[in-house]
Amino acid sequence: MQSRRRLLLSLRAPPKAVLCRLLSCSPPSRGGGDGGVGGARGVAVKQVTRGNLADALEELRARVRDAAFVGIDLEMSGVTSAPWRDTFELDRADVRYLKLRDSAERFAALQLGVCPFRWDPAKCAFVSHPHNFFIFPHKELPNDGSSHEFLCQTTSIDFLANYQFDFNTCFREGIHYLSRAQEEQALQKLYTLHGDEISAYPNTSEEEGDVPLKSAADILFTERMKIKFNEWRDAIISDQRVDGHSPGNVKFKDRFQMVFFKMHPAIMLNGFTSHQLKLIRQVLRKHFRDLVYICTFCEDNTLEKRVVYTDTNDDKILLMKDVREDLLKSKEAIVKSAVGIRHVIDLLASERKLIVGHSCFLDILQVYSKFIGPLPSSMEEFSLDINKIFPYIADTRHLMSVNQVVQNLVRQKSKSLSSVFSLLCPALHASDEKSSTLAPVRIEVEADETALSCFTSGAKHEAGYDAFMTGCVFVQLCAYLGVKFDNLLPHENLATNIKLEKHINLLPSCWNSGTVVDLSTGTERPDAGYKHRYPATVYDNVVLIWGFQSKVKPKDIKDCICKVFGPASLTSVFSIDSTAALVQFSKQESVNDFLDLKAALESTDTAISVLHPLSTILEGGQTRAAKYAAYRDICRSSLSKFFFADQAEAVHSTSNNELKSENHDVANASGTYESALDGTVPASVKQEAEGTKSGFKNQGDNDITYQDILGALQDGKTLFGKRVRST
Amino acid sequence: MLMSVFWVYRYNFHLFPRDELRLGMPSYSFSCQSSYLSSMALSGFDFNMCIYDGISYLSRVQESLARQKIFIPHIRQFSPSPSTSVADSIFMNRIKSRIEHWRKGYAEPSTTVDGSLVSSLRQLLLGCESYGSRPSIRIDVCSDRQVQLVLEAVNHISDDLVSLVVPDKAGTARAVRVIFTNSTEDKNLLLTDIQKLEDEHNLKFRGFREVIDLLSSSQKPIISYNCLIDFTMIHSKFVAPLPPNLKEFMCSLRMVFSNVIDISHMWREIGPLRKAKNIQAALSYLQRQYFVPMDVEIHQQDANNSVTKSGENVLRITKLFAKLSNLLKISPNSQSQSDEKCYTVEEYCNIFYPSCKVKESDDANFSNESDTNRAMSTDNVVFLWGFRETSVKELRSHLAGLHHVFLKDFELKLLDRSCSALIFHSSDMATELLREISLESPSLSDFFSEGLKAGGFDVYMKVCRLGLWDSDLAEALEGVSSEPATSMPSGHGTSEIYWNSSLMLDLREYLEC
Repeated sequence: MQSRRRLLLSLRAPPKAVLCRLLSCSPPSRGGGDGGVGGARGVAVKQVTRGNLADALEELRARVRDAAFVGIDLEMSGVTSAPWRDTFELDRADVRYLKLRDSAERFAALQLGVCPFRWDPAKCAFVSHPHNFFIFPHKELPNDGSSHEFLCQTTSIDFLANYQFDFNTCFREGIHYLSRAQEEQALQKLYTLHGDEISAYPNTSEEEGDVPLKSAADILFTERMKIKFNEWRDAIISDQRVDGHSPGNVKFKDRFQMVFFKMHPAIMLNGFTSHQLKLIRQVLRKHFRDLVYICTFCEDNTLEKRVVYTDTNDDKILLMKDVREDLLKSKEAIVKSAVGIRHVIDLLASERKLIVGHSCFLDILQVYSKFIGPLPSSMEEFSLDINKIFPYIADTRHLMSVNQVVQNLVRQKSKSLSSVFSLLCPALHASDEKSSTLAPVRIEVEADETALSCFTSGAKHEAGYDAFMTGCVFVQLCAYLGVKFDNLLPHENLATNIKLEKHINLLPSCWNSGTVVDLSTGTERPDAGYKHRYPATVYDNVVLIWGFQSKVKPKDIKDCICKVFGPASLTSVFSIDSTAALVQFSKQESVNDFLDLKAALESTDTAISVLHPLSTILEGGQTRAAKYAAYRDICRSSLSKFFFADQAEAVHSTSNNELKSENHDVANASGTYESALDGTVPASVKQEAEGTKSGFKNQGDNDITYQDILGALQDGKTLFGKRVRST
Repeated sequence: MLMSVFWVYRYNFHLFPRDELRLGMPSYSFSCQSSYLSSMALSGFDFNMCIYDGISYLSRVQESLARQKIFIPHIRQFSPSPSTSVADSIFMNRIKSRIEHWRKGYAEPSTTVDGSLVSSLRQLLLGCESYGSRPSIRIDVCSDRQVQLVLEAVNHISDDLVSLVVPDKAGTARAVRVIFTNSTEDKNLLLTDIQKLEDEHNLKFRGFREVIDLLSSSQKPIISYNCLIDFTMIHSKFVAPLPPNLKEFMCSLRMVFSNVIDISHMWREIGPLRKAKNIQAALSYLQRQYFVPMDVEIHQQDANNSVTKSGENVLRITKLFAKLSNLLKISPNSQSQSDEKCYTVEEYCNIFYPSCKVKESDDANFSNESDTNRAMSTDNVVFLWGFRETSVKELRSHLAGLHHVFLKDFELKLLDRSCSALIFHSSDMATELLREISLESPSLSDFFSEGLKAGGFDVYMKVCRLGLWDSDLAEALEGVSSEPATSMPSGHGTSEIYWNSSLMLDLREYLEC
């Protein structure tokens, strides 16, 4: 510890400032906006890339062990793969999870910020060590079949570029990773291969077919090799008899280098082509029972080929086994080293410290999908799994909403991390005018002066600095919640604090959901502090409509449905994108009525379907409708089209799911609709429709008066009115 | 012999599909292959430059879409209206007097010095604004007819007024802005300013596509190497989404670039070069074997710029083209020469090689490229998946025991680790196999119990069309074949594919039919 000097937040700051311990936590308030060239100047953030991962990891291990909590943050290559995949306030919990899951699976994590905070009772301050890890998912294992492709959202990349994200470092120096599932799979494969080889031994060498000696050159080469190996072996045997293992005086120089391999005399085979090597192996196999061809990997991943002399058959078997074990070990080592940045996650998981993030549900999903394994299909499963790995997670976004004082403070202000940071963590030296805010808890940043080169001063939207800000905000929020740090033990985990306990593992699922996920149960519950913009949705009453023409606006949909079902029939129309909308009826029956009516109108190609109010929506013939379950299925699909309608069609045509049967139901329903009409009104829509149809065919449209059509429509309308009223 | 020289001007454009107009264009998101990014990073590609300062672009189709959504004030040419109603002339007179009154304030500055309050009050009353440093007045209109009338009125008043039509978000004219200029020079200055604004706006729309448009309109020959994949990229990014089939693509491309030359087609004309595998090989062969009095010199302008890999490649292509065209007696401007032996560049135009798997390596070896293309019907192909064997040999021996069709001669090719293609020598075998599979005939019970699945070329085509690239081929085939084949669109029957795809596509062939 003595070897380290506390670095001041600013390297440019005057020496005096260096002495005065690192201040509380932030620059003078920069206003709530996003406009500033972000960042508290001079927070030393350790940059970790491929080159210094091992060292940084060792250091981080000790830091995390001592920490009271750890702030984390992720920078990703994008958030939504299509506009309609944005999370909406009125999404059902399972749909929201599917949308977030899609995002976590598709996009890459480019930076991981980890910032352990240690409580120092002597100084009455938190000491933090922000780390910024660059991540790049490149292929590390040679035979790894999984495709390494990721999506980038143009606006997100542009956003990162605006904050000077260093893409060159990321793509050149970024640290690779293997998720736990991938590692397990790779090792599994390794062991089965190894097992196969063991059991197949000693037949392996005979397995390969004979190489036909095609040319005179081949034959001559083979003969020559035979003679040379013979000479060599005889020399060794005779030598052995004379003076034991000292092959040094054996004259066998021209192409071979004499070495020892695992206490056996051996020669290196350098400078042969693969065809020649094949011939050599064949010679050995056919003529020399005591010479073995062995191929090993050396350090720099090149192959080393040797011919090794063995005394006895047992000796040979032992040697081969030895070689295979070595091979297995080296391959295991390769897999282990490919784990890369996941060591950080493993470290955080094994220490069971409190993890703190800001709006971090998506981050946690990303962490799971990149470093643990494929994301489970439901929120419940996910929560239970993540709870086993990270037992304590706190979200500052949620903590902000549980304290009234903080609520008042941030009301009407941006809830983004940087603005909350500047609000809650103003410089310590600010005058005491703001009596409403508590005195901030002091936070210091510690940096190791021996490795200054890898520190940069943090900037907004750099994961390491964001993790630091999150931690600072968290500390201040804890103070508001009445958590006393004074009697906190140096290595104590904050997660066990009584005042915090009830807020832990509650994460807002996204910024506009108005719900928090309870990670210990996997259920969502409404967030008390959230102001809802839409009335609560009854999902059974919702119809999903897509494929209408782009000129149709949500208001048009509302108008024409109100014309048919009555003004009070609709609760809301929510536009997903320009090609789709969710329509919520006030009564559940209206859902089926609507689907039936739509099918009926589509099946009759007459003037009625043209003049019917619903024709605004149905125009173009591409309009589809389905219940809410279809929406979930479409969101679940791994496809991603830009427009919702295209996506829905693609999902529809690729898979045999409920959506399809849903639509079959709709198609079948048209029949029931018509029979229902027959039942109640003797000369009703259907017959009228038939009449018009024949009219069209026989005499042309002159014979149908406008009155007829209107009358027919009127009938239909009253009929619907009746049905609605009766139910 | 005189050494002729081609002067080369090299440009390296950095592109990034930035969403300049906030419309989700040119692309909402894009996919990255991390191994490819790694190799780019290794070769020193500057991602920061590309992303921070890369030029954005919109394809022609996207531009026209964007133009329907974003409008800026513009100058509209005044066309004298044929007839004027009474209402029109009243409206016009009112506007005219209003503008005249406003103009008088600037054209004939009053001698009395108003207080600032008075002048600001007057400005407020008259609806004055300023356009840059110049005074202007905004006249609200509610129809195109009114726009015409206002323009006409302005036209009558004075030459020192410039009017701009201001559209709203939907593109309909909402107001006319009349700007007062001091003098003719000032007016010209204003007009160039407006023009500049419009150009900037256009640049925002087209961005890098200006370059493509420039190349396209110049009608000069475009030289490239193995360029089918490049041109599909160019087409989709700068022209329009790719058409559903190759033929339409070729036609569409031809409209944009009429003269595209694949350099590898040119060197195939020279006997010994036929087997050259890459540019480097061809170039070094030419240098060894021929003396070509033709060289390429780089213009000094970019000599100090760092050379990227693609820049290097472009230079090689140019060099090779220069030498080849000399050897083949293609003159750069054949029209002007009377030499009847001279071939035109057009002879080599628009011939593409569909194989995109050519390894780009720098070793100058010639390899034996098999010259035998066998055309075969897609009926002969069966896709097989669900096996666990990892080698062709194992799989073949395994299959032989399962059904009698597998005893016949067929070729087997592993497509990935989960799927293989069987190519039968007669279509009967393939159809028999597929039919028996669809009927689930008992002779195939071993086949099914092993978990093997098979499908015809149609299944594969469907997979490709749906774009199911994200999983194993076997997964995709499984997904598609498990659903009833009802939604298969018609319009594709049997077609011929080439097993060894080193053949060429001649654009002219497509255009003649």
